[in-house]
Amino acid sequence: MAKVLVVADIKEGVLKGSTAELCSKAKAIGAEVAVAAIGSSIEPLIPDLARAGSDTQYISDDPGLEAFSAGPYASCVVEAARQFGADMIWFGFSESGKAVAPRVAAQLDAACANEITDVTLDAGRIEVVRPAFTNKVVQRVKANTDKLVAVVRAGAFEADEGVTGSENVVKLSAPAPDAKAVVKQIISDATGDIDLADADIVVSVGRGAKNQEGVDLVKALAKDLNAGFGSSRAMVDGGFMPHNKQVGQTGKIVAPSLYIAVGISGAIQHLAGMNGSKVILAVNKDPEAPIFNVADYGIVGDLFEVVPILREEIKKVRG
Amino acid sequence: MKILTTVKKVVDVELNIKVNDGAIVEEGLQYVINAWDESAVEAAVQMKENHGAETTLVSVGGGDNTDVIRRCYAMGIENGIHIEDPALDKADSSIFAKVLQKVYEAGNYDLVITGKQAQDTDSGHTGILLAEYLGLPCVSNVIGIEVIDEQHISVSRAGDSGTEIVELSLPAVVTVDVSINEPRLPQMRGIMMAKKKKIEEMDLAALGTSPDEVGAGAPKSEIIEFMESEKRKGGQKFEGDAAEITAKVVQLLADEAKVL
Repeated sequence: MAKVLVVADIKEGVLKGSTAELCSKAKAIGAEVAVAAIGSSIEPLIPDLARAGSDTQYISDDPGLEAFSAGPYASCVVEAARQFGADMIWFGFSESGKAVAPRVAAQLDAACANEITDVTLDAGRIEVVRPAFTNKVVQRVKANTDKLVAVVRAGAFEADEGVTGSENVVKLSAPAPDAKAVVKQIISDATGDIDLADADIVVSVGRGAKNQEGVDLVKALAKDLNAGFGSSRAMVDGGFMPHNKQVGQTGKIVAPSLYIAVGISGAIQHLAGMNGSKVILAVNKDPEAPIFNVADYGIVGDLFEVVPILREEIKKVRG
Repeated sequence: MKILTTVKKVVDVELNIKVNDGAIVEEGLQYVINAWDESAVEAAVQMKENHGAETTLVSVGGGDNTDVIRRCYAMGIENGIHIEDPALDKADSSIFAKVLQKVYEAGNYDLVITGKQAQDTDSGHTGILLAEYLGLPCVSNVIGIEVIDEQHISVSRAGDSGTEIVELSLPAVVTVDVSINEPRLPQMRGIMMAKKKKIEEMDLAALGTSPDEVGAGAPKSEIIEFMESEKRKGGQKFEGDAAEITAKVVQLLADEAKVL
């Protein structure tokens, strides 16, 4: 039986939904599933880790692991993979996953694939599907090794409610800190906002908002909808939105039920970050904006006029 | 301080990319410098200007990269190396990283700056693998670099819960995001000077290695085929009275799409 080690996605003490999605997929391809959980004071998450669909939990819990540091995190994953005998190691889509996966691959002499959307395992032969050329095409890739390390694209797999696991905890000793790459400070941008990766609805603001007033207007719509609030690159470069709110190939990749693009023209780098959304609504005053080529619903109009009406109408239907 | 930057020539993804019989259709493709690498070059040139660093760039594979390397010369890079070898035709990130390891070892560098990914493969592995093979500290997704002294730099990384400030002991590898800077446009004087500069062309043997040593015959992964991606189609687009069309769309979101 193939063995898949899922690296748990933990942010601010909470287990993210991607962990259950990855565990469900691993079980769906008939694999035995373990998770590696890394952080500080994470033992209370063990029941959640089992419920997500894992049957073994490798726990690296140490105050020294509170701040993300790629070297020590990779050591924890490698140790868990060796003890478990993992054939595949999967990370959810995150900056930490993208930083750690190649290190783990190098240390295990494994193949490595970023942003996979599907994976098959047939008689020991591992194949993945992933986008390439900024999501313009997809490619099928085979591993020439018996091990694969992969980062799974956001929204690629669905959690199966019927999947569950059991508690079987293995505690790992903490690795030494990386003396040559010392994390001095983390300037948190946890502003109490909804996490983009988890949000069921995402509202994003683009250049059409022009100024802070425009950004605040669109943000109010996001708040009404209890939605994640994202951004195009233009508004990040313009200093209106923080870096970690940028949706696109170079930023966050999201796949919510509803994505509302407000004042965003739709550069391919932005589309690559949101075209997995179930339903897309675009508001733009240029009827030729490329965003309308991917939007299920489009409103051609000035966002300063449309957004207040949108808020009112949404309040009416939501009661 | 000696800085090595890496540059990859990639397909211009702004243009149409077609697939036929499992392969990318070459006709009509245009090639440009990878945007993330252009930011790496700009970061290196800024360190030359502000801290007197010596800058070298290397590109591996890709055929005739003269135009890309000359562009980087015009931006201010001092030395250019291009490695081309038929054995590298099927190279994956791990093989590119092994070749870069040889380049690094031949040059006694203090800092390697690479783009965080290339816009053709979107993998983001090469820089991190290079650091692992060399046993050097590495920070990826870097959005700021400050020099502390000859042995230390401080970098800002866009992480999952905020901006991480990491102090790196040199030598080290950093992979940068495009948001680290706005790459300069080469000026006429730089372009003229770049034309006269030499590019050091070499194959694996000249680099002091062999296809076997960099694993060129045994890539860890291989592309089987390319396929068209599922294209979304535009749906219903409404123009006219803002109040009317907005109310209409909200009704559709609620009743038809059932997402409100």
